[in-house]
Amino acid sequence: MNYVAFSLKQALEIRKATKARVMAGGTDLMVSAQRGEGMMPRFEGDMLLISHVDELRHIGFNASGELEIGALCTSAQIAGDSRVPWALRAAASRMGAVALRNCATIGGNIANASPKGDLPGPLYALDARVRLLSVDGAEEMLVSDFILGLKKTKLKDDQIIGAIIIPKMDEWFDYIFWHKIGTRRANAISKLTVTMAIKLDQQRKIVEDFRLSATACGAKTNRSREVESLVIGKKVQELEDLVAPVQEAFDKVISPRAMPVFRRTATKNMIADFFSRVARLPEERNME
Amino acid sequence: MDIKDPIKRMDALAKARGETKYLSDYRFEGALYSRMLRSSIPRGRIVDIKLPALPEGYRLITYKDIPGKNALQMITADWPCFAETDVKFVGETIGLLVGPDRELLQKLFDQIEVEYEAQEPAITIAEGLACKGGAFLNGNNVHCSLSLQKGEDIEAVFSRAYRIVEQEITTGFQEHVYLETNAAVCTKEDGRFVIYASAQCPFYIRKSVCGLLGLKPDDIIVRQTATGGAFGGKEHFPDVLCGPLLVACYVTGKPVRLVFGREEDIANSVKRHPSRVRFKTALDKDGNILGMDSEVVYNVGAYLASSFVVLQRGCFHVTGCYSFPSERTKGIGVATNTYPSCAFRGFGAPQTLFAIETHMNYLASLLGKDPLEFKRRYLIKKGELTITSGPIIEDVKLVQMLEQVLKASGYAEKSKAYAIGSGKGIGLAFYNHGGAFTGNGESAIIKAHVKLVKHLGGPVEILCGQTEMGQGFQTALRKIAAQVLEIPPETVIYDNPDTSRVPDSGPTAASRSTMVVGNLVYKAALDMKRRIDAGEDGFEVETVYEHPEGYPWDQSTFQGVAYLGYGWGVCAVEVEIDKRTAEPVVKGIWTSHDVGHPIDELICHGQVNGGVVQGIGWASTELLQNIGGHFKQTSLSDYIIPTSMDTPTMSVEYVDNPYPWGPFGAKGMGELTFNGSAAAYVDAVSRAIGKTINAIPIPSEVIMDYMLDKEASR
Amino acid sequence: MKIDFNLNGVQVSVDKDPLSRLIDVLREDFGLTGTKEGCSEGECGACSVLLDGKLVTSCLVPLGSAIGSRVDTIEGIRDTKLGSIIIESFANGGAVQCGFCIPGMVISAYCLLSSNPHPTEDEVRLAISGNLCRCTGYDLIVSSILDASRRLA
Ligand SMILES: Cc1cc2nc3c(=O)[nH]c(=O)nc-3n(C[C@H](O)[C@H](O)[C@H](O)COP(=O)(O)OP(=O)(O)OC[C@H]3O[C@@H](n4cnc5c(N)ncnc54)[C@H](O)[C@@H]3O)c2cc1C
Ligand code: FES
Ligand code: FES
Repeated sequence: MNYVAFSLKQALEIRKATKARVMAGGTDLMVSAQRGEGMMPRFEGDMLLISHVDELRHIGFNASGELEIGALCTSAQIAGDSRVPWALRAAASRMGAVALRNCATIGGNIANASPKGDLPGPLYALDARVRLLSVDGAEEMLVSDFILGLKKTKLKDDQIIGAIIIPKMDEWFDYIFWHKIGTRRANAISKLTVTMAIKLDQQRKIVEDFRLSATACGAKTNRSREVESLVIGKKVQELEDLVAPVQEAFDKVISPRAMPVFRRTATKNMIADFFSRVARLPEERNME
Repeated sequence: MDIKDPIKRMDALAKARGETKYLSDYRFEGALYSRMLRSSIPRGRIVDIKLPALPEGYRLITYKDIPGKNALQMITADWPCFAETDVKFVGETIGLLVGPDRELLQKLFDQIEVEYEAQEPAITIAEGLACKGGAFLNGNNVHCSLSLQKGEDIEAVFSRAYRIVEQEITTGFQEHVYLETNAAVCTKEDGRFVIYASAQCPFYIRKSVCGLLGLKPDDIIVRQTATGGAFGGKEHFPDVLCGPLLVACYVTGKPVRLVFGREEDIANSVKRHPSRVRFKTALDKDGNILGMDSEVVYNVGAYLASSFVVLQRGCFHVTGCYSFPSERTKGIGVATNTYPSCAFRGFGAPQTLFAIETHMNYLASLLGKDPLEFKRRYLIKKGELTITSGPIIEDVKLVQMLEQVLKASGYAEKSKAYAIGSGKGIGLAFYNHGGAFTGNGESAIIKAHVKLVKHLGGPVEILCGQTEMGQGFQTALRKIAAQVLEIPPETVIYDNPDTSRVPDSGPTAASRSTMVVGNLVYKAALDMKRRIDAGEDGFEVETVYEHPEGYPWDQSTFQGVAYLGYGWGVCAVEVEIDKRTAEPVVKGIWTSHDVGHPIDELICHGQVNGGVVQGIGWASTELLQNIGGHFKQTSLSDYIIPTSMDTPTMSVEYVDNPYPWGPFGAKGMGELTFNGSAAAYVDAVSRAIGKTINAIPIPSEVIMDYMLDKEASR
Repeated sequence: MKIDFNLNGVQVSVDKDPLSRLIDVLREDFGLTGTKEGCSEGECGACSVLLDGKLVTSCLVPLGSAIGSRVDTIEGIRDTKLGSIIIESFANGGAVQCGFCIPGMVISAYCLLSSNPHPTEDEVRLAISGNLCRCTGYDLIVSSILDASRRLA
């Protein structure tokens, strides 16, 4: 039996009672279930359609100043909201094409846990959390902890992702790099996407914070605090000397199975490019 | 009015309003649905087919149900309608499960189990030639071959050459991706079998499938439904659907319908032949070309079908737009355990044209010469002999076309400004396409007929077998008739062909429709005009193709005038490569074409746009691998065709070069437009990264491999 | 499950599984065959329709998502002022070849011009980047949409 929920309460109750699998935009599930012209898509088990649960559609700052993005927010909505950090906006704006972006949700992108999913990259780099809701209460965890691996997450069978929370950071970062290599120039699945962010101290001399994540080069999005620690606390002027050690260390983190030479080389080249650009302390903050 | 002035396409409004019905939009009362049972292994023997208990009304149709001969009569008849014991490729039809309810049909279909005894397959050209797993055809896996030699014996030329340069160039599979997947219905009306199909060639279908029931072509009616793109992929391939449907309709007495899903279509339909071309070129000490030898190998797949003709065309185009003192080529169509390859826009010419342009660029870079200057010296001219030792009959206006492209593109300044390996590059290619069937094929094989009817007190109607599949022919042909008859084109009737109503005017293929069939309509219209002016009404005029005298061709030796007229093209492409990620961006495309005299410049413009972009797709993102007999990229998210953002608005120009045997001077152009952009694109990428590229496609990961490959430096 | 929605301005109701595909309901239950199926997986855009004014691919939309919403198909927009201007421009501008992608293209163009009547060429190319066309190479579709934009008063 397939269900449609019209409120969060109803959705959580149905989920609890039936364990029915959640469908949001359906852009992953309808594809894998389709059987062609005139045929009912085939799902394993019951489904619960939550696309009418309006409570999960908001973007806004919470009481602690953190940005909350409802799980049903679509890529189009995220791409068009200036409160959202640029890398996440950019990633959302390059998912699929117009129609896809009107349906694909952020909750679905995370829960789907595809290594080629575009939103986890920036979310990992931003230390974003997921809020998981159930009739029995809510829990939060880092997106990077929530996603376990290829198509695997910590979602319990009575839970629904309620929101994604991006911690408060003054004006986010000083420099953000985000670049997606797609299969073509639009309407493209990611072959490799790299997100990087650098926060400088007040004097713009020292790297206070550094983040680096890469998608589509392993079973899940890759990020390593160890690699990042190679850069944190270092002088901006030293960035270019850090290219080689960072590249080398990050190269050990990623695990591309297909096209390994391409993915490794392009990742290294993007790190080198970002560091050399930031070392010049340019005006532009967002780099592709 | 000049015929080239654009008019509103006759089919455009209904299509844009969503009113045009394609096959899957029709409902056939009481029709059965069907699912194709196919081989899941590339080579082996069927040991057993285990069927679930089939309820009343459900049935698996197999070769045992064929009362006549189990063969599809394409150009050859080696492809069976249903496999009997041996299977030779993944996707080979074994049976057709039919029944009234889609869901139940699918459920039953999923329960069918075929047990095989598998054998080792040969997949690639090299494996086919090496007879991997043992030869499965003729003891050598060679489906077909031919040799051509022009001028001085090439071996003698090699013996006195200062330098001999060898190069191997390969191209991959390409999928057509007509937006409408393959679809057909077979039914019975008034005691006759009627096939409705999304197809290019209704008369081919009739001929191909009638023998299954021991019938004559005339016993079967084929009606073309609006066809959502074809590009050669619906030339012979619809036979593979229509054969089983005819047998199923015969057995069940009910209409039977088959509409492919997209993945099903990509995984189980014909493709462009992968190719391997090896050149061996003799140079003198000043770097002049003394002679060129080549070996052209096409991966034909398991059955020959139409491939020998494809291979012939490939060989006839292997020296491109050039003429060398001595030329030799050997063509081989190799059998492999892959889905048979078949017609695809260009019909074998694009592979060799890509190869020759790429080879010429390579020679120029080895010799340190400007590629354009180097190529220009060898451009073929009127009266010079092609590789089939027949002369070019027409003026060749390539130099004039080149001037147009140079001017529009700023080629000279850009190729100077963009250093080799700078990340920016501009490339250029010359290409042509022989119009219509080779040699005297139009008179010896096709013998096209058309009829023009003046209905008593009513409109004029064109009766011919030519199909509209997007190329604009229904508009072009009405325009030709209307212009002669001095009536508005929209008053001329020209419906989708029904083989019981129209004469056989040959296939809608080979860029022949406008130049050959268009000319028959033109002639018929002249005759009709005369008779109307004399006061006649209510009559028909029929015209039959006659080959002009004085242009001999010998189909047994492939010697003589291969084509009376060629379409010619020049294309420049500019790219920029992201040096970090090897991502290419196409910055500009400039073209000029000689299509004789255009019948409608706007229709031609659309053909140029579509063909050029499809060619860039072939060269760049359209990677289609066959792994162990299975195509790997079988959905549109894996098989990557260009979007609106992948190429910029292109420049489109023409030269006027009226063709004496075409209506209003028109020549063919549908295929021509595909033939050059791949080479121009690869030339541009090669210059941008400073590497020699000798294989396509080159998606970014392949460009990266070239960038990292020190040996490939140019 | 009984599902009510507004289809091309008319209130309709069907009794179906809420996870049926919208495209099947449009084509088979309502006979609206102007919406085409080219890939069944959201890649080609031939099945594009508007859901509450937003462009969606109806092969991916579960019917349940249309509950209480408005669905506009090519049949619904073709005689509107904007729709007919676009269609006229397509027909005059050589935008139509085999036509299979075209109803979806028209819907995308309609969606674009409804919110942005005077787009740049880049905006047009972006707006139709989810509509694959194998025939035209896109140029004449793009120029026809720009022409429609100029003809909008
Ligand atoms: C043509 C096409 C192009 C695409 N291009 C891209 C692209 O460029 N980049 C990219 O990243 N992805 C792409 N995708 C994949 C897909 O669109 C995204 O993953 C999308 O974000 C999924 O969201 P959804 O709401 O549609 O997911 P659904 O299909 O509804 O669900 C996906 C998964 O998430 C679960 N789920 C959804 N919402 C919740 C929730 N609130 N709580 C718990 N579980 C939930 C579902 O149970 C399911 O397992 C593309 C898909 C298509 C069809
Ligand atoms: S059929 Fe829906 S996008 Fe292709
Ligand atoms: S017109 Fe044929 S696919 Fe667009």
